[in-house]
Amino acid sequence: MRPFEYRAPATLDEALALLGAGARPLVGGTDLVTLMKPELVTPERLVSVRKLLPDRIVFDAQGVTLGAAATLADLERDSQIAQRYTALSQAARVAASAQLRNAATLGGNLLQRPRCWYFRHPQVHCWLKGGSECFAREGENQRHALFHPSACVAVHPSDVAPALEAFDAALKVRGPGGERVVPLAKFFAPPTDERRTESTLADDELIVEASLPSHPEETRSVYLKAMDRGLFAFALVSVAAVLRLSSERHVGHARIVLGGVAPIPWRAEAAERALLGAAISDRVLDEAAQAAVHDASPLAQNGYKVPLVKALVRQALESLSR
Amino acid sequence: MKRIEGPDKVSGRARYASDVRRPGQLQARVLRSPHPHARISRIDISRAEALPGVHAVLCSANAPAISWYETSRLFDATVRFAGDEVAAVAAEHGEIAEDALRLIDVQYECLPFTTLLEEGERGEPQVEGRGDLARGFAEAEVVIERTYTTQCALHNALESHGCTAAWDGDTLVLYESTQGIFSVRDEVAEKLALAPSKVRVITEHMGGGFGAKQIAWKHSVIAALLAQRAGRPVQLMLSRDAENLAVGNRNATRQRVRLGAKRDGTLTAIEVQVLLQSGAYSPGGEDSHVIGTYQTLYRCPNVRAEQIPVRTNTGPAAAFRAPGHAEGNFGLESAMDELARELDLDPIELRLRNYAVEDQASRRPYTSPESLKRCYEEIRKLIEIAASRKKSWGPWKYGIGFAAHDWAAGAGHPPAEVEVQLPGDGTARVLTGVQDIGTGTRTALCQIAAETLGLAPEKVRIVLGDTRPELRAVTSAGSSTLPSLAPAVREAAAQAKERGSGRGQRRPNRKDRSIRTCGAQCVEVAVDLRTGEVKVLRVAASHDCGRVVNATLVDSQVIGGITQALGFALIEERVVDQRLGLVLNANLEEYKVPTAADIPEYLNAVQSMPDLEANELGVKGIGEPPLIPTAAAVANAIFDATGVRIRDLPCKRERLLR
Repeated sequence: MRPFEYRAPATLDEALALLGAGARPLVGGTDLVTLMKPELVTPERLVSVRKLLPDRIVFDAQGVTLGAAATLADLERDSQIAQRYTALSQAARVAASAQLRNAATLGGNLLQRPRCWYFRHPQVHCWLKGGSECFAREGENQRHALFHPSACVAVHPSDVAPALEAFDAALKVRGPGGERVVPLAKFFAPPTDERRTESTLADDELIVEASLPSHPEETRSVYLKAMDRGLFAFALVSVAAVLRLSSERHVGHARIVLGGVAPIPWRAEAAERALLGAAISDRVLDEAAQAAVHDASPLAQNGYKVPLVKALVRQALESLSR
Repeated sequence: MKRIEGPDKVSGRARYASDVRRPGQLQARVLRSPHPHARISRIDISRAEALPGVHAVLCSANAPAISWYETSRLFDATVRFAGDEVAAVAAEHGEIAEDALRLIDVQYECLPFTTLLEEGERGEPQVEGRGDLARGFAEAEVVIERTYTTQCALHNALESHGCTAAWDGDTLVLYESTQGIFSVRDEVAEKLALAPSKVRVITEHMGGGFGAKQIAWKHSVIAALLAQRAGRPVQLMLSRDAENLAVGNRNATRQRVRLGAKRDGTLTAIEVQVLLQSGAYSPGGEDSHVIGTYQTLYRCPNVRAEQIPVRTNTGPAAAFRAPGHAEGNFGLESAMDELARELDLDPIELRLRNYAVEDQASRRPYTSPESLKRCYEEIRKLIEIAASRKKSWGPWKYGIGFAAHDWAAGAGHPPAEVEVQLPGDGTARVLTGVQDIGTGTRTALCQIAAETLGLAPEKVRIVLGDTRPELRAVTSAGSSTLPSLAPAVREAAAQAKERGSGRGQRRPNRKDRSIRTCGAQCVEVAVDLRTGEVKVLRVAASHDCGRVVNATLVDSQVIGGITQALGFALIEERVVDQRLGLVLNANLEEYKVPTAADIPEYLNAVQSMPDLEANELGVKGIGEPPLIPTAAAVANAIFDATGVRIRDLPCKRERLLR
């Protein structure tokens, strides 16, 4: 790890003034420190914002607001989240390990970098790190993406992000020019030649909070995650599904967001369209599961993810329409 | 009886190699090759040497030309795998040492390389066997011909390799994490051209070895040289990456297997050709004899077994808990399961029809010819109970798999020199130069001494883990610690009881008999073919380890061995990019070992079967056997559940989802 300056300012404005190129905000540090140790990032300055960002979970008529410094453990333990935003609670619970969930925060979780073993390898200068080649594309890509909107085939590692997106979350972001609200679906964007990150957040901006709109009581949701082992692993594939059925069992609302299949959380809109307005039946569920992968392009070693996505989507929808 | 070192371990009092703090102690770090094969055309350490806080820097330009591996050196001008040692720094703090590594300027001239088993340079074939293979296959009514592969697995002991080196005058003291204090002492002395008496190795406690710590690795000599140059003690513990790159792994194998049998199941011929991946060097230690079990587990007159080591530009393979046997067992016991299915025979019945009462490789009767049958019987009872609840539910398909095993070791052997002192205050001291690598050796030896002396165990102190006084004992490898030490402790204690002090030593095993350990396991699984998920529900194990000295410690070995084996069977696999020649998962995040959530119910059906033909206490080892048959039993259970035969380890999702 390279030496760096550590600052703990008293106000958020002071913190924002200290951010910018060469500086990084520090809250839980569970991803940042793992990037610094192998020198994948070498910030000159860390700005502690742990005590400056909100960490509360607040319910009101509009829905719920989650402070960016709330930990995954906070999300996991909140009984109202478990009841009204079940998929989010489940996603937080199956992320990482208990120790990490006690330290990792919501904001940091959304900003964590991919776990791609080429990106994380100190000796590989891949495209995402500013190089010219994505080595996973023709290499060991069993954990990699099925959908390819970017030169990079790494997958977004967050469990919480697909769940938030399935609830149409928006982020409040604060920078030197003030605050802006950005839908989560716009906050994430596939890395490009000019911007080799998975989010549109600027260097001198901070996520302050996430807000999730309220939804009718009959809305149900679930988060399913396939891993290499029982716990403490990133998703091979995950599915966050939110579904609302009418009294005649017609689908009135559907959101399906996949994790582990693209550089950003991946909305399966074709699957949602297959459901919307339809009466629930085995055939409709099969069609939706099929639609979720209709445009998937497996790489040489990750073909297994196609049936896995289908199975998880099918399983999620089954459990929600039971 | 509980582990006597337990309170020290849970309270943090137990001192490991990395806990040693000597006055003025420095920290060392190693620069490793980023290339799989290269010549160092230039190396400049001057900037590193000039960094404040740096006390010594070693590299090929200034280190003594100490020969290492076959034709290489401690710091060689040619590096042969990504992770090979290039330079080392000792500094006031680890961070300064790391800064100094960045200041070392190395120019590499890259050379051609391969990381693939199929493409590497093949060594001398080792061919063993008996009888007439052609006749054996001519007599066969059924022939099974299959290819199985096993992956490269990483040891990942909780404590990495490492040591603290300190010079007391002209004597080198090494606080080392090792399975063999005398093997490290002798090898380090030889490398440094010192008399063995001028090197003292101490291993008080150890956080696991699994076979990779039974020899002296480069870090011990590097630490000694750095300490010499700096004039201060030096601690050199390997990082997790280095641990997973440079100091051992389980060799990947490809096994082409042919079995010939009569319709009644009688084996007429066994043929196997094995390729095994040695990596860049052969570091020594226990051999990986993959073809061993093919020659001994079943009675068969015609056997040809061949293994060919293959050099690749990857880290050197080293012994890993039941080296060779764990790999060979997967091929043989998968093939036996396929044969049983082909013949429509019960898997245990097929094995009973080919039961061996003598070691066919050496043509000597076993000391415990009936013990494997007893293990089969224990497992058969448990399979019958399992079969009665055999039921698939929803998408989960249920299956039971069986596998047997033998193991070439576990008998123990000399040396084991033991001294027992009775100071006259009602206590006893038992001294020996063995080490407790975490298996509970102290506890088992204490029990034996206390029983012989007629003392309460808490009155008996076990002093071990030090090459001084020079009481030579075995390296803890080949499940040999207890069967080597136990008779010597018994002898020394008996003598002390008569005379006030006593010495004992292990004598060689009898030559007219073959001593083996063996056993069998059954595994119950549930498989969801939609998601490819495999749940291991239950593992039942029955092994012959002779007399059970301490049931809790046997339990620990069975539970630990099977857990490690489940990792090998299902998820653990070193991943190497063949284009770059780099290991992509030399860490505990991407190299996944089982967690508490992956551990099934264990039924330990180990029976105490004193093998009094083997030694006077009838004890044998249990460290390695529980790992051996699990992977084959898992694959056999998956087939039973789904009809999908997995012939390539690990049995990961990719192989079930198509």
